[in-house]
Amino acid sequence: MPLTITASQHIATRGLILLLAMLLFAGCSTNVEVKGTIPVALSHRLPLHAGLVLDPALRSYTYTREKGKKVSFDIGKAQTGMFSSVGGSMFDQVTILEQLPKPGGDVDLLLYPSVEEIQLATPFETRLKVYEVWIKYNLRVFSGDGEPLSDWIMSAYGKTPSRFMSSDEGALNQAAIVALRDAGARLVIEFPHIPEIKAWLADRFRSEPTTTTTDKAGIVDASGNPAIAVEAVP
Amino acid sequence: MNSNSHSSTLKIDTRIECNGSPGRGAVPRLASAALSLLLPLLLLSGCTSTTVDEYNPNPSHLGIGTGEKVVVLGRRQAGRYETEPEFIDCIRKNLTNNPSLTVVEEDYFLDSFYPWFEPRTAPLKLGRMRYMLTEDLIAEKMQALGIRYMIWVDGNTETTDSGGSVSCALSPAGGGCFGFASWEKTSTYEAIIWDLNKLAESGRVMVDAKGESYLLAIGAPIPFIAQVQGDACKGIGNQLRGFFEDSKAARGGNTKP
Repeated sequence: MPLTITASQHIATRGLILLLAMLLFAGCSTNVEVKGTIPVALSHRLPLHAGLVLDPALRSYTYTREKGKKVSFDIGKAQTGMFSSVGGSMFDQVTILEQLPKPGGDVDLLLYPSVEEIQLATPFETRLKVYEVWIKYNLRVFSGDGEPLSDWIMSAYGKTPSRFMSSDEGALNQAAIVALRDAGARLVIEFPHIPEIKAWLADRFRSEPTTTTTDKAGIVDASGNPAIAVEAVP
Repeated sequence: MNSNSHSSTLKIDTRIECNGSPGRGAVPRLASAALSLLLPLLLLSGCTSTTVDEYNPNPSHLGIGTGEKVVVLGRRQAGRYETEPEFIDCIRKNLTNNPSLTVVEEDYFLDSFYPWFEPRTAPLKLGRMRYMLTEDLIAEKMQALGIRYMIWVDGNTETTDSGGSVSCALSPAGGGCFGFASWEKTSTYEAIIWDLNKLAESGRVMVDAKGESYLLAIGAPIPFIAQVQGDACKGIGNQLRGFFEDSKAARGGNTKP
């Protein structure tokens, strides 16, 4: 009896092949959209009005890797959330901006973060049982009148242990959240200690003695030096 | 083995538990014949040998007052490994078996004190913790949450040895797996208790657990898994609970939030 393939069977076979091919290619790539929240930081607020420039490039940043196993790592939304949350815990008043404003606005300080580099590592590549994420930010700081104060390269690191039957996507997402928390921690704790910022703050509060009150002692000491006490610990 | 010194105690307890059991699923008849041949081997499977080593500088039980809480935190600063969050949660659940203890969840604590207990910023020594508590914001928050004891857990579970192989095949007529594989896991953890009222170490517990798991496949795979991490959690958790037992301030409710 001759074997005949009807048109519908032909379409079904093609569909099956296409589906298998899609599954095969899906297995060769990792697509992560980083999701998670960063808590409000427990810190004294600098008595300043800061402008936080979160431009479209930062808001929609996606790292892609074409070599080896393809990776698409969308961290834009999560890092926008981190900078907004942590920035809000650092200053008395924060205005979120989409681009650098013209000099002479009503902000005292402008913070303009951008992503310099992202690196990811999986247990498959490193033979370690951890997923790792490195993020290198460049935090440009300007005074309210547009004068550049500092270019601070801030690197952050996060890792998460591999788990039986866990997906690369889930583990990388978790490692990215740890890295973003790390970036936030560095920002809160180290920002007032960047030499240029420290000098600017000292100068600023020397000229405005009313802000150097004891209730702000965690930020500015009596001589006008920024001093988050917990940082310089033996 | 127990040994007492002047004011501190050092206890070492070693036990072997065999709580591994075959995984769920039907065992084919072909496999059951082979199973009887391998019975002596399987009797040895799924066993974990656990050694718990306790140091208590103050042999009396740790007091905990009304409204005072305990938090269990994992160390995450090492590059090669990190203390598993699920292990920390397992210890927390074990501690809550003591009704007089209220144990704060790790995530809740870390979020409440962000960014002071992150891998980069967490205090490694009591000296730094003491210094951190001189910061009003941290001290006030600690008081508001009622944290009296902080238990730091450092260590991990890793596969230390493996051998054998199992291969599976699928064909239009059916499929199956054949082979034998085994792997050994080792859990090593140390827990240190800090008393935040006295700003002193109140004790430490070390646990070492080792166990071998097997996977026998004759048609269907039959796993015999040693609960190494689970036994380590039980060992360290029971010992830590012992530090607080007989606490006079017995209360109801035991987990937060």
